[in-house]
Amino acid sequence: MKVSFNELQGLSRKAFSGIGFDDGDANDAADVVAWMEAHGLGGITALQKGLDFLLNEDKSKAPELIYQDADLCVVDAHNKTILGHASLAIELGYAKCRARGLSVTKIRHCHNRMLIVGYLSRIASRNMSVTAFWRNAHEPLTEILVSFKSGDAEPEICMYSLPSTPDDTEPNDGITLIMVNHVNLLPDLKPDAPLNDLLRQDRDAMASWHERSLVEGIEVDTALWERLKTLATKMLVEASDDSRQGAGAGTNDND
Amino acid sequence: MISATSASAPNNLRPASEVMKLERLGSMFASRLSFVRSLMRKMITERWQITNTVFDLDSKGHGLAIYRITTPGNCYHCVIFSRDLAPEQRSDRVIAEAWDVTFAVVEGEAEDSLLEQMAANVPLQEAGRQHPRVLVLSRANKSLRNFSQFAASLAAGQQPNPAWLTAVGYLYRTTAVYGNGKFGIADFARLEHNPDFNRPFAAQMLAVYVLRQFSIEQLNHLAKVQSPEQAAPLHPELQRYLGVGNSTGLGMAPFLINHPQLIQQWVYGRERALASARQEPASEHTHAKLRALMARAVKHLQQTRTEDGDQTLRNQETVGSVAEVIDWLDRTPAHHALYEELITWAHSHCSLETQELINTMLIELYPELLDGLEDELGCQESMDLQPDMKARQLKDLIDRKFSWALTYREDCPEDNYWFWYRSAEKEEPRLGIRGTESGAEKETALAVGPRISRCHTKLERFLQRSPNAMVVEFLMAHPEQKECVRRIQTLGETPYGEIRANLWHRDMKPMHLLRTKLSFFGASRFDPKSDRWVRITLFQGAPLSAELSNHELSPEKLDDWGFPLEPVIEAGESDQTLQGGAL
Repeated sequence: MKVSFNELQGLSRKAFSGIGFDDGDANDAADVVAWMEAHGLGGITALQKGLDFLLNEDKSKAPELIYQDADLCVVDAHNKTILGHASLAIELGYAKCRARGLSVTKIRHCHNRMLIVGYLSRIASRNMSVTAFWRNAHEPLTEILVSFKSGDAEPEICMYSLPSTPDDTEPNDGITLIMVNHVNLLPDLKPDAPLNDLLRQDRDAMASWHERSLVEGIEVDTALWERLKTLATKMLVEASDDSRQGAGAGTNDND
Repeated sequence: MISATSASAPNNLRPASEVMKLERLGSMFASRLSFVRSLMRKMITERWQITNTVFDLDSKGHGLAIYRITTPGNCYHCVIFSRDLAPEQRSDRVIAEAWDVTFAVVEGEAEDSLLEQMAANVPLQEAGRQHPRVLVLSRANKSLRNFSQFAASLAAGQQPNPAWLTAVGYLYRTTAVYGNGKFGIADFARLEHNPDFNRPFAAQMLAVYVLRQFSIEQLNHLAKVQSPEQAAPLHPELQRYLGVGNSTGLGMAPFLINHPQLIQQWVYGRERALASARQEPASEHTHAKLRALMARAVKHLQQTRTEDGDQTLRNQETVGSVAEVIDWLDRTPAHHALYEELITWAHSHCSLETQELINTMLIELYPELLDGLEDELGCQESMDLQPDMKARQLKDLIDRKFSWALTYREDCPEDNYWFWYRSAEKEEPRLGIRGTESGAEKETALAVGPRISRCHTKLERFLQRSPNAMVVEFLMAHPEQKECVRRIQTLGETPYGEIRANLWHRDMKPMHLLRTKLSFFGASRFDPKSDRWVRITLFQGAPLSAELSNHELSPEKLDDWGFPLEPVIEAGESDQTLQGGAL
């Protein structure tokens, strides 16, 4: 079925509230999913993949700051989705960069990492050059590099397989963010387009996808849509005769 | 589109402490910057054409009508489905499932395949899946009394009594006018670069305007069906005096609270207009014009009927108060600082409604100076954190700009009386009494004041431990405060910021929230049906679509339709035999 951007954003927000997200996180998560989908980056697919996980994770435990100095911070997301409080880890990196010119933020043990792109778009729009880097553990081992120029809402994204598997004893479930606020990092991403390049998405493609989304609407799986609706109803109050009076209106307008 | 910052503010803006009080916002009137006025002005200056292309109605007025809207650069169609409605189904509430008419404005041509899709979905409204080329989706119910009286009069070859339209100024009442992506229709983002509809609610207002045209033509059709030989068409003066009603309730409140940047931009636009107008030197001409406008307004208010006791008293008080303003103007000749003197005098002698009426009329005096502001009432809505702000600066910001919120008392029952929620019945917004009614655990976060107060309390405690911390460190300790903090940081930088009221307080009047939004829409004839439900009229007095392309009528004359008065129809044209049935 086709839905509008606003509809996807609105229902996602209500569903995230129904799941138990705080208002701010519900708003951010919904914005991220809708933005990713409208820009051709699979926001809905990522949500669909992560929904069961989201429903079962412990919302009470926030990501934990395990190290910081003036330029660097390391946050343990405790195997939670990036849609939750991870935005604060990003904001911490942003704050450090504003103070020092460059910051490195490592978010460890997090899920749904691709969705971080949606939040980074907001950070980049606030005049920050942002590069995000992470590896996927499955075969073939891949790296994903996302680079926003300062002030741009859309990034350049490149996913490529590694020519050989390095000796890697650490789990590949983290993200590294590098922010710079005076120069642009990685203005040209892999300009030589290597043969093992698996995915490359540029700003123009994302902008035209966005334009098309506004004209044609956004395709959503009906079953997912119904599931989001069911989650959203958790924030609705059952009707009763008393509650019907709460709208302050009559029930008939035959005058 | 611009975003307001303190840096761009004129120096004689009224303070937020005065303007953003809910009671004052709830006393405002439509002005020339209101959305119906600015849309009409655009239609007048650009000579938009609205022509009926399909009028396939049966003898009961049921069927399909299509109107083509041609602007300088684009064309649109308004597709209207009229059907029979059982009396027991006629409800203005959002929980209704059927209506007398359902309609939609669609971008571009209305080809057969699109019409087929619309016929299957537009009548279902929220329950349908709407086409992405639909810009506005709406529905309306008949004013049964006016419809039957008007049709009977015209069928008898007589004009209806104008007093009927003074009592109820429309044939149809819209009960929701949806835009911005609802139920699959086009997002507002798609219209942001469309000069026809890039102002707030412009497309929605056009849909309402076309319904007015349809209501006139449907009425004439019904009269002619009843009496083909004798029927008279509705007199042009009555056509002009006919508006479109709107019935609305608490649904207005979530919009006002959830779009604070937009609301502040609307207020900022209006206040900038007032600030510019009041510093102009009054001339003999503007003095006379102001007096004439006030005299028209007093008559309009005298002609405003409502069964609501409080609103009747407010109208009477305003009528008396405006009469005093006119006396004041009669004894005070035009001079350099006339407007400032009037505002100062009114502040201590007049009701809030009268004070705001004066402001509305001052804005009316200077179209060349102020009409450009109508393009500055939109904004890009985005609330971002300033994570590197010092937490103590955040506390200072709250102390400085949000002190009104800190009067909230956690342990005071009066301060926590109401809770806002959405019902499982079509998500209808409702108010419940905390501790008495169930559902408070699912309340929607509309009470910004208490949220800011709670945030402030947590911030004070945090600062005792971490006096030099940044805001982001406060949020890592209190992540649930993220939304509140970025709202404070965003709105704290604007001239007007938040509506200053505790929406949980027992004395909070929801009607003020409704009127705030409706005045920006351009509503008149406020007719409360309860403390949280109101009927209003839009476009009453507005030019007719045929007049938009009449080059003999000046744009200035066509634009002068605020505070309309009951027309006087020549003897013999009005049907006196039915008089008394409506009032």
